[in-house]
Amino acid sequence: MVTRRDFIKAGLLTVAGMAIPISALEMFKPEAMASLVRSFSEKKRWAFVVDTTKCVGCGMCAKACKLENEIPFEAEVQRTWVERYIQLKDGDVIIDSPKGAREGFTSNDPYGHEVKDEEITKQFYVPKLCNQCEKPSCVQVCPAGATYKTEDGVSLVDRSWCIGCGYCITNCPYFARFFNPVTNTADKCTFCYHRITKGKQTACIDACAFGVRKIGYINDPNSEVFKIISSKRVAVLKPEYGNEPHVFYLGLDQIVR
Amino acid sequence: MKMSHAWRPVILIVGAVVFLLIFRTIYVPGDFTAKSGDYKYQWHSLKNEKYWTDYPVKYMGQEFCGQCHSDKVEKIKASGHQKVQCEDCHVMTSKPDKKHPVDLKEDFKYLLEIGVDSSRELCKRCHAKLPFRPAEYSESSKGTIKFNMIDPKTHNAGIECVTCHDVHTAGFK
Repeated sequence: MVTRRDFIKAGLLTVAGMAIPISALEMFKPEAMASLVRSFSEKKRWAFVVDTTKCVGCGMCAKACKLENEIPFEAEVQRTWVERYIQLKDGDVIIDSPKGAREGFTSNDPYGHEVKDEEITKQFYVPKLCNQCEKPSCVQVCPAGATYKTEDGVSLVDRSWCIGCGYCITNCPYFARFFNPVTNTADKCTFCYHRITKGKQTACIDACAFGVRKIGYINDPNSEVFKIISSKRVAVLKPEYGNEPHVFYLGLDQIVR
Repeated sequence: MKMSHAWRPVILIVGAVVFLLIFRTIYVPGDFTAKSGDYKYQWHSLKNEKYWTDYPVKYMGQEFCGQCHSDKVEKIKASGHQKVQCEDCHVMTSKPDKKHPVDLKEDFKYLLEIGVDSSRELCKRCHAKLPFRPAEYSESSKGTIKFNMIDPKTHNAGIECVTCHDVHTAGFK
């Protein structure tokens, strides 16, 4: 027979047991405790600024990136590329990026058809690269754990662990990933992780004579990137996907896709 | 006593699960873990971060070339081409036509192929007149200056730019 004492005892034990969800056990991990007390501003997080109003479309960035990161120069793949947007008076928009702009834009003939000056309402260049998202969907879909986000916000690919399924490549809303024809793995911009961790600028920033690109910590009040993002009107590409990109554009036009 | 027929598939399934768990323990590297407990985005082999930080730096810029060619770097820093890096024109992507007298790869761990690209196409990347190409250059230390653009069809077509122009001073020869 169940006494009142036994019933209360069992009831309290059940409630106490239910009060310890598995996630609560996380607090016994030292790093999980540290993440609770560490404030946002101390956590270093890389971010990039692209000033599209200054870009002339010379493509030196795309060339330097290919050389720096050993992406075969003649292959039609690139970690960073420059897109040309031409809005015509009849409302059409022409977008091209011949060879990812690794040889620059030297004449106004997208896809081999010359566009006359008087037909154009506006024209500009938009450099693109991996957006190093806060919530990278490419990382989330990887079935092998081969791609990951570092603590300072850069997504990287483990070349020894990538199985080449291509899920991350089709998943990226920014088309920033590709198959590296040499390593046969997924490849993408790393924000030149080997350079920024050594205190250098990325290769594309070094190669740009026009000061279009900038990199820095988004949480550091002294960095130029922080100053631009917090004081000027910036935009990100395709915010509706919820990836929270960390490449911020100055002077982004609504025709940019 | 005869074993019930239901046990055989159960043993098979349990055996397969045990085998998979053992195989996974052996095959997956021991440093596979999630930083800050974020299994969605940071679950990875920790030694791979080292692979990326150790990746060699190749594009060195004016600082590296200035170690020997300080005269050239000083010249270019005083000119309109002050922010153009040496590699933008001096690194070839195929067939270096002029070898560097000192073996940069062996002696300086400089990993790019050196040559001279003096083609008209290279200059056109910045200086060909295209509609809406920024007409003023704002990154100069001298303030905003006019950005020199030419129409490559009418401006001495067929002749290489270096015939008349000195790229290191960004002026005439």
